[in-house]
Amino acid sequence: MATLMQEFTKGLWKEIPPFRLVLGLCPTLAVTTNAENGLGMGAAVIFVLALSNVIISLVRNIIPKKVRIVCFIAIAASLVVAVEMLMQAFAFSLYQQLGIFVPLIVVNCIILGRAEAFAGKNPPLASLADGLGMGLGFTISLTFLGAIREIFGAGQLFGVSLFGPNFHPFTFMVQAPGAFVCLGLILAGMNYLTIWQAKRNGVELDPNFDSGCKGCGACKMMDQIAAQKKLERMQPAKS
Amino acid sequence: MASQELTKNLFSVSSAPLWHCGRTVRSTMLHSLLALLPAAAMAVYRYGYDAITVIAWAGLTAVVTEFLMQKWMEQESTADDFTALFDGVIFAFLLPSTAPFWLIITGSALTIILGRMVFGGFGGSPVCAPAVGWAVMTAAWPEFMDLNAMLLNWDLIEPLSELKYFGVDAVAEITPVSLLLGDNLGTLGASQVGLILLGGLYLLATKQLRWFIPVSFLAGVFLTALIFYMIDPSQYASPVFHLLSGGTMLAAFFLMPYPSASPVWKLPMLLYGLFGGALLIIIRTYGIYPDGACFAVLLINLCTPLIDLIQPKPFGGR
Repeated sequence: MATLMQEFTKGLWKEIPPFRLVLGLCPTLAVTTNAENGLGMGAAVIFVLALSNVIISLVRNIIPKKVRIVCFIAIAASLVVAVEMLMQAFAFSLYQQLGIFVPLIVVNCIILGRAEAFAGKNPPLASLADGLGMGLGFTISLTFLGAIREIFGAGQLFGVSLFGPNFHPFTFMVQAPGAFVCLGLILAGMNYLTIWQAKRNGVELDPNFDSGCKGCGACKMMDQIAAQKKLERMQPAKS
Repeated sequence: MASQELTKNLFSVSSAPLWHCGRTVRSTMLHSLLALLPAAAMAVYRYGYDAITVIAWAGLTAVVTEFLMQKWMEQESTADDFTALFDGVIFAFLLPSTAPFWLIITGSALTIILGRMVFGGFGGSPVCAPAVGWAVMTAAWPEFMDLNAMLLNWDLIEPLSELKYFGVDAVAEITPVSLLLGDNLGTLGASQVGLILLGGLYLLATKQLRWFIPVSFLAGVFLTALIFYMIDPSQYASPVFHLLSGGTMLAAFFLMPYPSASPVWKLPMLLYGLFGGALLIIIRTYGIYPDGACFAVLLINLCTPLIDLIQPKPFGGR
């Protein structure tokens, strides 16, 4: 039970998808012009992520390793079509607001990422907890980002005017560049918080704590290429 | 273990009899501010008390923001070396003189924060900070950055929006001399074209600025505009008009050679200027904003790391 709880809560802060894993940025940037859109998008993602995690985890031993990506996408796609139809039936205005980004949940990095990294290796119950946690984390992030952008960019929160009629909204925030700037500042804020916490607890912090260099390895590759080029340049001089 | 081995084999490095040329960031910035002074004086003469308030608000906010941010980021405070003041004043030069004070304060603070401090401060920013401030303000409050709407009291016209919305015939009567003297509606400082040019020439004469970027930028503007003009003179304005209108001069001498955002070597500097000038005309012709100076500067700033890959060969290298 403790591990289930762990799987659930890691998506809420430690690996909160857009802000820690920096996955699923397309909807994060595009639909968060207000808090309501963020919440709706997040709800759709919770549904798809939790169910796709469970289904993939159930069939994980049947799928051949070579065609697993196709199977993951097929499962996610059927779920997304279900969500789309449900939205058309019960929340049509929201569906119109989100537009193309509902079908695009199929190719959302988080769905495939969690399927590949977690659900493909773990039992259904843990996968369900993971999917719910990650989906909830995604929803919280999107609502937070949407709320910030709505407050500054339109002077509203969930459609309720906050500052009165004399406020000239900072419309930069609800435009495309505002999304990037806002996301960048939030990422910086997350890192600042981590450093501050470590300092307060007196813990030595790994300089690559934000997992920037862990999964990439591009620097190493660049070093290798540079060394190889250097070797090539040296060789004609010797001969 | 590894660090011990490293320190054992360190060569002792002593200070050579190095000769400092005496140029500091502070002196360069003072020269630049001095070069902006005539245009600022002309702006005050033309727009009166408003111009002083705009420049003062922008400069003060920039310096205070820089100071507070450096306090917070635990950096050594360099708010007194005039770089922040320079950015603030340049940002003020891009505003209409009747801009409301809250817009000036927000824009000037964002100039420093988004243009410089998020990249680690002056010298770390890959883009021209005042242009960032201008772009954010233009995206956020277009109605307060619209020169014609903000300067309704003046009987003059703004050449670039006139060209944009009414075609080339509307600006046929505007002579180059009147543009040079700044006898048209425009932003606070950037429209005092002749005096900006004077300041730029002062910077070139005192060798605070190398000629490559300004000259190639103006050449890029001229050549691109000439191509359009030769295609159809009845549809596109003359190259001289483009050279002397809007923010072209300010961009050439103060925005394009922004220290950390422009290339270092000679050929890259020439390419940087030429492409920047071409971009300016392209944005003015096809874009939705009347003046593309700041957008052109920002776009070409982003190309700087790429252009800077063109490097001279070391002596004896192959």
